[in-house]
Amino acid sequence: MNELFSFIVKNSKWFVFTFFVVISCMLLFRDDPYRQHVYITSAGKLASTAYKSANNVTSYFNLHEINEDLNRNNAELQARIAALEENLDALREAAFTDTLVPDSGVPPFSFIVAHVINNSIARPYNYLTVNKGSADGVRPELGVIDRNGVVGIVSNVGTHSARVISLLNPHFRLSCKIKRSDYFGSLVWDGKNPTEAVLEELPRHTVFKVGDTIVTSGYSAVFPPGLPVGVVLDDDTDKNQNFFTLRVRLLADFTTLSNVQVVVNNHADEIRALSAGEENDSKKNPFGN
Amino acid sequence: MTKYAIKYALAFILLIPAQAIVFDHAILFNVAVPLVFLYLIISLPVTVGTNLSTLLGFLAGFFLDVFCDTPGVNALCCTILAFARKPLFHLYVSLDDDLASRSPSSVTMGHAAYMKYMITMVLAYTAMLFTVEAFQFFSFKLLILRIAASSAYTFVVLYALDCLTMRRRDT
Repeated sequence: MNELFSFIVKNSKWFVFTFFVVISCMLLFRDDPYRQHVYITSAGKLASTAYKSANNVTSYFNLHEINEDLNRNNAELQARIAALEENLDALREAAFTDTLVPDSGVPPFSFIVAHVINNSIARPYNYLTVNKGSADGVRPELGVIDRNGVVGIVSNVGTHSARVISLLNPHFRLSCKIKRSDYFGSLVWDGKNPTEAVLEELPRHTVFKVGDTIVTSGYSAVFPPGLPVGVVLDDDTDKNQNFFTLRVRLLADFTTLSNVQVVVNNHADEIRALSAGEENDSKKNPFGN
Repeated sequence: MTKYAIKYALAFILLIPAQAIVFDHAILFNVAVPLVFLYLIISLPVTVGTNLSTLLGFLAGFFLDVFCDTPGVNALCCTILAFARKPLFHLYVSLDDDLASRSPSSVTMGHAAYMKYMITMVLAYTAMLFTVEAFQFFSFKLLILRIAASSAYTFVVLYALDCLTMRRRDT
């Protein structure tokens, strides 16, 4: 017994070393971003407090660009309002002859404005932290957009902060379509460049041109359909493959992210309940007897 | 010794958030990151036991991971670096040298030995860090570039930091 004890003391440094290496490896290889405890992410109290105070200073740096983007956005929206008003007038005329059936009273999407307090772009898995949390209505698996396009999806939520899986993270695949032709594929970051991603799994007969806009498909309950994501740069397809792979320039500028909106889908529970029902049904006998 | 411990704790509390908030965003050419928090491990006195230094290394890495959302990456590399610190140190300073309990610096070790020690530590760390990160997208050219660029950048910043603190100690 004494010998065992002295052996442990003599080699204690190896035991300590192994212990910490094992803990580190456990943290390292448990890589599902949704299963992590909020305290060991940047949405935890410790990190988010530090980031918030630093952000009080740095948030002023990009105001010029943000302002320009907002002006442009505003102009586009005004043009859309004008077009929609025209449409509305036409519909009003039509309403004399036809009756429009109103949809459900709840607007399908609402938005929570948040501020990015931490952001990374140079790592293989990038995350950002925003200053709104469960107290503000943010929940895991909500989409995050900024004024230019899709930014990411919420993974962990603290009381007043949340960690978002950036689009620059291979854990996040986004269902997208080409705006002009409605062919859809899945957008994922390939780790090379923070301004580009690849759109994969497009059917071989897809029609596209360089410069086509890529928008969200709306097939998931996370993002509304038609949100801009990027612009086609070029074709990156291997000749022998059955699917197209396109390089896409992302519209959201991840190097200067500051104000973002968390997308709340008010019908998400309903959609989820329906698809859960579908899964249950498929487990049962499809003919019900 | 107590005075040193307080100073070290203060440096710990300051450098980890500084690394996450300032230095992690001071990226050059999309490849080079200054890993200034390594100063915490480099400057540990050799008289500090391996057990304690491994613990401190793990804690430094762990807290940086919490800030940077890189669970385990820095914790693993820092643990290994802090454990290997003593053997690396003795590559350049023989065991017989009279070592005060002061931390490694160009005064206690001699300028050339200290530079070599610092370069070895920084290179070892960046090599480990980027290799662990490269599990996802492996590109040998990019890996070597990141290791070389980040090591050089970190070394320059650490050297500058060292010169500044050194001058203050002299006066």
